[in-house]
Amino acid sequence: MKKKAQPDWLKITTISVGLVLTAFIVALLLLIGTKPDPAVIWQSLFSPEIQFAIMLSLVTSICSTLLCIIISVPSAYALARYNFFGKSFVNTILDLPLALPPLVAGVGLLLLFGATNFGDWLASVGLVFVFTPLGIVIAQFFVNFPYMLRIMRSTFEDISPRYEYVAKSLGCNNIQSLMRVTLPMASSGFIAGSVITWSKGIGEFGAALMLAGATRMKTETLPISLYLNMSCGELELAISAAVILIVISMVSLYVFEIFGGSAKL
Amino acid sequence: MLEIKNVSKDLGQFKLNNVSLEIEDGEYFVIIGPTGAGKTILLETLVGVHSPDTGEVYFNGVDITCLPPKDRSITMVYQDYMLFPHLTVEENIAFGLRYKDLKKDEIAEKVLEIAKILSIDHLLKRKPDTLSGGEQQRTAISRALILEPSVLLLDEPLSALDAFTRERLRRELKRLHALFNTTIIHITHNFNEVFSLADRVMVMDGGESIQVGTPHDILRRPKSEFVAGFVGSENILQGTCQTDAAGKTVFTSEGLTIHSANEPAATCTIATIRPEEIVVARPGDDIPYENRIIGNVDEIIDNGISVKMYVHSDRLFSLIVNRTSFQNLKIEIGSQVQIGFPAEAVHIF
Repeated sequence: MKKKAQPDWLKITTISVGLVLTAFIVALLLLIGTKPDPAVIWQSLFSPEIQFAIMLSLVTSICSTLLCIIISVPSAYALARYNFFGKSFVNTILDLPLALPPLVAGVGLLLLFGATNFGDWLASVGLVFVFTPLGIVIAQFFVNFPYMLRIMRSTFEDISPRYEYVAKSLGCNNIQSLMRVTLPMASSGFIAGSVITWSKGIGEFGAALMLAGATRMKTETLPISLYLNMSCGELELAISAAVILIVISMVSLYVFEIFGGSAKL
Repeated sequence: MLEIKNVSKDLGQFKLNNVSLEIEDGEYFVIIGPTGAGKTILLETLVGVHSPDTGEVYFNGVDITCLPPKDRSITMVYQDYMLFPHLTVEENIAFGLRYKDLKKDEIAEKVLEIAKILSIDHLLKRKPDTLSGGEQQRTAISRALILEPSVLLLDEPLSALDAFTRERLRRELKRLHALFNTTIIHITHNFNEVFSLADRVMVMDGGESIQVGTPHDILRRPKSEFVAGFVGSENILQGTCQTDAAGKTVFTSEGLTIHSANEPAATCTIATIRPEEIVVARPGDDIPYENRIIGNVDEIIDNGISVKMYVHSDRLFSLIVNRTSFQNLKIEIGSQVQIGFPAEAVHIF
């Protein structure tokens, strides 16, 4: 007679919890996608308002991602490669925006650009951040650069400095060894970081709301559009924005999984 | 000639402490020492990625202490190859040639030439991660050698390889050294691995140079207990030495009196005898050596090729005998045996 194994309750319970959670997320996504009439949603996608939101979201998120790259890649390299006074302090502070509620970050940015001499000076040279699309870019940048920074930092940390030593012994100077060896080796992390930063930028709401406000057809990104249309009962428009955001999240998560590799968030 | 003068460098975890050394052109110089002895940081200082805290490095009389790595004509090969994963084998080998004034076809020609010498010419289009360890190491050596460096630094180049590949590559290194006549500095923690390659050897420990000499010197005439232990001189006796009535050197330790062929010195307190220089026989047999001791076998370790034995008399001796004599003597644990060694095998210092 075949012996019957004892049921492994730990295995059964933990797997069940995971399955319930997965079902919950799938149900939510399906609900958003199917509750309203798909034909109406499809139509709403081509409404001027949603079109504007898509454009504004794309432009601001691409600008803020570029800004994140320009600032984060060099800082990440420095934090991974060099020891300097105050390094751990700098590390902690640079990660802080991750933990900070975006609304709080937004208030800080609003105070900086709206209520200081520095902000006034920037405005006087034409850089107006308060209640403008430029403000959206800065808000996205401030909230999301830690993602790029952390991914690039762990990517650089995973690349032995000995590759650069070898490159230098073969004739490279510091810049050449960085450009020919370390950066190409960091390309996966770079793609993963850029995609996650961009997708977080598209979804950024709190800080952008505080700094740039929620003005229809002016500072109306996809999340702002979702919020505005939900508040005034335009369910189809709201859902359209939501569906686009879902698609973007899923695609970026997929790309991140492919390129993320050893990169840690 | 490469001269290292009083070089110190502290990297926290690893350090160099006042290392001085002269290496002749074309020499095959080996540095041995345990993990953390500061071997790699010495090489990295020579290649120029660390600048010493104090001390200087001269090459042919020119001070190169502050010269950037690219201007030194010193290249380096690491144990884990450090091949650039995003480049093909060909691009890896050609990496340094970009900074030479060469045309594309000249570069391709040079790459093919060195690849043929190292028998990797069929792998040129492959990416490094598709190669075996030995092939990767050959690629790394080609990449370093193609620049015809004045000095080639090898950081444990054989340690990551399986025994068969290691033996092949060791012979290859000997051939390359003769072919290119490059000065080679080779570091390892395994002395036997490089015994046949080395012109001279430096033993390092704790960031310091402990002893420099020919491989034979290091093996038979260690100057300290550390070196003796590190190169496998397992019988290390503490005692005193004097000259007997016949004018010969005798060493007294733990109730034993042994003869040495060394000149006696009042400061000598240590005698070493290598395990493979001790012979074993039956108690009544005649051993034609000055030193003969009766003892009991404590332990037998048969590695299939030779047999290591621990024999206990007034103290414990370790010795290595070949399988034939081991089998002829029918030795077992507890057997009483006679061990013997010539006065020449007793090194005192």
